[in-house]
Amino acid sequence: MKMIKSIKIILVMLALILASCELDGGESLNGASTSSISDDISRGELTQAISGVLSDMRVGISTHTDVQSIFGREYYYFTSSDPRYEGDVVVGNLDNNTFYVTTPWGARYATIKDINLILEGLDNTTADFSPAEIAAARGVLNTLKAHELLMLTDNQYDNGIRVDVADSENLGAFVDNSAALTAIADLLNTAAGELGNGGGAFSFGLTVGYAGFDTPQTFLQFNRALLARVEAYRGNYDAVLTALDASFFDLNGDLNAGIYHTFSLSGQDIANPLFIALNQTANVRVAHSSFVTDVQDGDNRLNKVVLRDEPREATGLVGTHDVALYSTNIDNVPVMRNEELILLYAEANMQSNPTEAVAALDVLRTAAGLPAYGGATTPAALEDELLYNRRYSLFGEGHRWIDMRRFDRLSELPNDRSTDNVPSAIPVPANENK
Amino acid sequence: MKMKQTLFRGALLLAFLTVPIFAFSQEVVQGTITDDNNLPVPGANIVVKGTTNGTTSDFDGNYQITVDDFPATLVFSSLGYASKELQVNGGSNLDVTLEESVMGLEEVVVSGLASSVKRRNLANAVATVSAAELAGVTPPKTLDGALAGKFTGAVVSANSGAPGGGMSIKFRGVTSINGNSQPLYIVDGVYVDNSSISSGGLNAVSQASGGGNASTQDNATNRIADINPDDIANIEILKGASAAAIYGSRGAAGVVIITTKKGKAGKTKVNLSQGFGFNQIIRLQGQRNWSEALAESQFGEGDLYAAALEAGRLRDYEEEIFGEEGLISNTNLSASGGNEKTTFFAGITNNDENGIVKNTGYKKTSFRLNVEHNFNTNIKLSLNSNYISSSADRGFFNNDNSGTTIGVALTSTRPWDYLLPDANGNYPDHPNNSSNPLQTRDLMTNNERVNRFILGGTLDVNLYSNQNSNLKLVARSGVDTYNMEAKVIFPKELQFQREDQGGVNGVSAITNTNNKNANYSAFLVHNYFTDNEISFNTQVGATNEQFSRNTVSVVASDLIASETNVDQGANQNVNQNRLEQEDMGFFVQETVNYQDKLIGTLGLRGDKSTNNGDINQFFYYPKASLAANLNNFDFWNEESFLNRLKLRAAYGEAGTFAAFGSLYTVYQSTLVDGSVGIVVPITQGNPEITPERQKELEVGFDLGILDERLGLEFTWYQKRVDDLLLLANTEPSSGFTTKWENAGELQNRGVEIALNAAIINKEDFSWDATLNWWKNTSEMLRMDIPAYNTGGFGTSLGTFRIEEGKSVTQIVGNNVDGDLVQLGDAEPDFQTSLMNNINYKDFSLSFLWHWKKGGDNVNLTKLLSDFGGTSADYDEISIDPDGQIPNGEYRVNNGIFAGNATPFVEDASYLRLREIGLYYTVPSKHLTDWFGNVISDVKVGFSGNNIINVFDYNSYDPEVSNFGGNGLSTGVEVTPFPSSKRYMMHISVQF
Repeated sequence: MKMIKSIKIILVMLALILASCELDGGESLNGASTSSISDDISRGELTQAISGVLSDMRVGISTHTDVQSIFGREYYYFTSSDPRYEGDVVVGNLDNNTFYVTTPWGARYATIKDINLILEGLDNTTADFSPAEIAAARGVLNTLKAHELLMLTDNQYDNGIRVDVADSENLGAFVDNSAALTAIADLLNTAAGELGNGGGAFSFGLTVGYAGFDTPQTFLQFNRALLARVEAYRGNYDAVLTALDASFFDLNGDLNAGIYHTFSLSGQDIANPLFIALNQTANVRVAHSSFVTDVQDGDNRLNKVVLRDEPREATGLVGTHDVALYSTNIDNVPVMRNEELILLYAEANMQSNPTEAVAALDVLRTAAGLPAYGGATTPAALEDELLYNRRYSLFGEGHRWIDMRRFDRLSELPNDRSTDNVPSAIPVPANENK
Repeated sequence: MKMKQTLFRGALLLAFLTVPIFAFSQEVVQGTITDDNNLPVPGANIVVKGTTNGTTSDFDGNYQITVDDFPATLVFSSLGYASKELQVNGGSNLDVTLEESVMGLEEVVVSGLASSVKRRNLANAVATVSAAELAGVTPPKTLDGALAGKFTGAVVSANSGAPGGGMSIKFRGVTSINGNSQPLYIVDGVYVDNSSISSGGLNAVSQASGGGNASTQDNATNRIADINPDDIANIEILKGASAAAIYGSRGAAGVVIITTKKGKAGKTKVNLSQGFGFNQIIRLQGQRNWSEALAESQFGEGDLYAAALEAGRLRDYEEEIFGEEGLISNTNLSASGGNEKTTFFAGITNNDENGIVKNTGYKKTSFRLNVEHNFNTNIKLSLNSNYISSSADRGFFNNDNSGTTIGVALTSTRPWDYLLPDANGNYPDHPNNSSNPLQTRDLMTNNERVNRFILGGTLDVNLYSNQNSNLKLVARSGVDTYNMEAKVIFPKELQFQREDQGGVNGVSAITNTNNKNANYSAFLVHNYFTDNEISFNTQVGATNEQFSRNTVSVVASDLIASETNVDQGANQNVNQNRLEQEDMGFFVQETVNYQDKLIGTLGLRGDKSTNNGDINQFFYYPKASLAANLNNFDFWNEESFLNRLKLRAAYGEAGTFAAFGSLYTVYQSTLVDGSVGIVVPITQGNPEITPERQKELEVGFDLGILDERLGLEFTWYQKRVDDLLLLANTEPSSGFTTKWENAGELQNRGVEIALNAAIINKEDFSWDATLNWWKNTSEMLRMDIPAYNTGGFGTSLGTFRIEEGKSVTQIVGNNVDGDLVQLGDAEPDFQTSLMNNINYKDFSLSFLWHWKKGGDNVNLTKLLSDFGGTSADYDEISIDPDGQIPNGEYRVNNGIFAGNATPFVEDASYLRLREIGLYYTVPSKHLTDWFGNVISDVKVGFSGNNIINVFDYNSYDPEVSNFGGNGLSTGVEVTPFPSSKRYMMHISVQF
């Protein structure tokens, strides 16, 4: 009897323990949930979220730039640890599930996700933002989103990209390059309207890379400059000129004026991933030999590369010059510079106003230590001269391959080995299940 | 028949006649019963043969029996030991040593959280590794490494040869693809942590995660390496859910239950053992047959070659780096003893082992005190405590994207490169690489230092007992807590740290981890016996487990002078990662034993956890099993040469938790222009995530032949894992690359056969052998998401691919035509091992062969050496199917450049003499002559580890993993720390 009693007592106690022991906890310990922004963004969070966007825009730019520069035969990237930069990328045999395809794509869409979460948060916010503050924030975010989409369609071209990705569970359809460019232009115009309603100042900070573009009015100049690039890609030269007018385009201004990514070694910041010291052996960015041989005498833009002590060879590819665009691991990387705007101005005038085009190109030739352009002003001749200047002025900034593609001259890019090929577009990553 | 009857009558008559002489000579026989290891055997049965007169030994193995008739035969028996019969002619002291039975039929095996069952009655194929098998042949490098080849159904594989370990263990195939696939370790009831924690700073320099695979590839030690094998008495292995269902949501990958040594009452025994030895690389790759012409044609460096040859400066840098013979010293001092109330076992072990690379090594000191105290006959308290201090220097190996690891640097090092320091310790820059491997080896630090306490207590209370039933309460608590400090230093003198080389002027990193696991449980165990030998064992219990971890790492760069404190630098990058989890569970189990003929068990575990979407939702894991001992039924002919036949079947379910934090989509922090920012993570959380559920069915039979001279265990299992936790690829345009999903089902099926034989069993010559054979095949039965690649570097180099209808461990890649095809499978075709123990007089010889047949690796070390022009087989022609192109060129031009991954997927079969040991026990009569009674036992011997290795695999060792132990990522090789063989000599003295 006694035993049964004690068993009963113990069983009752156990049952009580079990029933009463509700667990608590189960929190995400290692960071803020994304819904904390999208559900209701606060004033303090807005600055941090936009810093996140500006930071994320830098992720993957080395892969992005290296792949584009190898395609454009601007330079080679040899690394002793990953042979695919001298293999797949130069050969043009691109696997749609390998980092050179997936990293740039994923990084740009991650930034777009950062932006979309903030846009959602601005719709839902209960903070005391004024309508102008919200409009200004939207204008900045939509401009940056357009920039990211442009980088994507630059790569994937007619393989297509998704423009509408606000709902992760219900992604928009793929559109080809021309539809993507239309959507990007529309987005830039929407953003321009928002910036116009954005009052006199931002309620958040931008990095020093945006110095001079840190009010709604001045940021609009960046927005218009981007539109000029997009319209040039679409061949709408009148629209290019209109957009340039409202941008920071300055024929007599500093060629390097513009918008930049910034880097540092502090904390969670990242170093400039495109910097490599001179004369390295394991990892090198070496200019394509044609960059050195094709240069016009006296063109000081050749100093973007530096003769190596020893050539670096990699499976039949040889580099004699190191790429020397950046001299430290915290140098800024351009997002958009006045030099490109001058080239866009020249391009837009090439057919309608060749004299003005030559004048613009001469600004760059003079800056490069070259005599004024003395060649023919036929459209074909001017196209050659434009592409020459774009090649040397924008070296290593991800333009050459796109330029040769849009002028339908990809086949002119040199292949050093019989196995090599320049592709016209990067495949859509396998995981998009397109 | 008639004859027999007559004899019987005669004997009866004789007995009758002698009765008057001996009838009243009642006398007492007493003594102590111990086992091979001199540990007491409590609860042993002592019966006077042919009578019902019997007794049992107490907790300390002491017995006392009153014998009426002499001469008499006493039968000593106990679970897990061979019975022994001894004749006694009068009252005396009789100490008895029971030997563990060869077949282990009588040993007890855990069957519940607080109960055990005789192996004879067990319905599962539970593997047991004894102390003698674990560390008795040769001292293992780590506890987990010592399990390889010793039982069926496991793949035990070293991730690298770096000192301090790094192992992966998988029972019965892959049980989880992205969840935890390593077993749960329980030491004396304490849930012991087995994490691998990456050290900050390594990836910052190697940038391994920045390229083709986002994992860090640092190959940290898994922390079970801290447990000292010398302290272990016994290990039981529950390989799958059918045996491990009682461990619920933590049991699916199997459970390794470790019991440590205990003391026994009586004379205090002290044992001192010392081992000395060295280790050596298993296989050097060698060099190309360099000549001036070859150096000229390969690199245009014929003149440099000639000059170096002239100056006698050609150097084999592979041997320079890996050619060290690391000294090993193991010292173990243990004492055990006590009285009838309290017993203890205390041990201190010091291991010191240098690696085969200079400045690498492992030091460990482990101190243990196990105390058992009987308050009275009904209450017993056991306390197990263990303190461990270890330090591992692991060098800098594996993949990188910066040319900095020693392994990668070596691939581009040519014999005529001059890399040696001058008299002042200044190292020349490497002419073809961003790091000088000798300088990196000599100057960098990669150290993991651990201080760890493991404490466990068990309280056994006999609440009630009578003739037919008893009730016991078992309460347990345990805590495993450690602090690990990982120190990584890359001084500014290193070639790749210098600012003129684009370096950051020195990196110093400290990673501090505090980990605490605590578990509490209480059980009631009720036994009820009927008069017709049916017994019921009922147990109910509740458990609570708490896990807490906090890792903070600081990586400083641009260091001041030669300072290494992390504040002595220009830049600091701080990371913190926390884990807090609490699980609650209950458990009920009923076992019915019908006359040892039929033994059936039903059980249920319920679990909830803060790691689940609904933290108070219970997940239930049932189990059921039945064993039938046909030989115990009446129809069995006892004279049959088949003396035992058991049929068994067991079914159980168990789970695997989602990785901590999988419920949430959490912003990562970032910094830009001095402003903190938040960015979306790579992986999207899933608030609906639930544990994986494994359902395992196991059936088999056990045979005993020729009075147990031969034993056979045959097991077939089918293990299905549903709601598989997959780190599914999402459309990356969603902003996320991966998302946690319960999205598939996989299956493992396999066969395990163990054959034991007592080949020779004579007084001074015995030979026991165990032959194991096992095989597993897996299949992805269902996938709710598209197939995806994981755990490799993409299809041009060979990668794993999770694909419906295919083997879970398939390796795919592009073939010579550019088509994506299956190129291999990491799963071995089969494995087999042969264990032998031969005792001749005072000598004993033991050895263990292990053959893994099949199973493929992705070998990228050779490819990197090809790019450096240094592969040993560069000029051989063996992989081109047409026999035209030298290997080095083929792998580059026809391999990677042609988008053909075929040359990189290699067969990773091996045959190893894993362990061998030869020992001589000095006969005790000599000891008495020489030392009196001071020294009771002296043993000397030699042993070795991995002394013979046969494999075709074209690198250091087919046992390797660039990505460490989890999931599928085994067998991908990128310039690892090579594995080593060990030679040891031993002396052990008992006082």
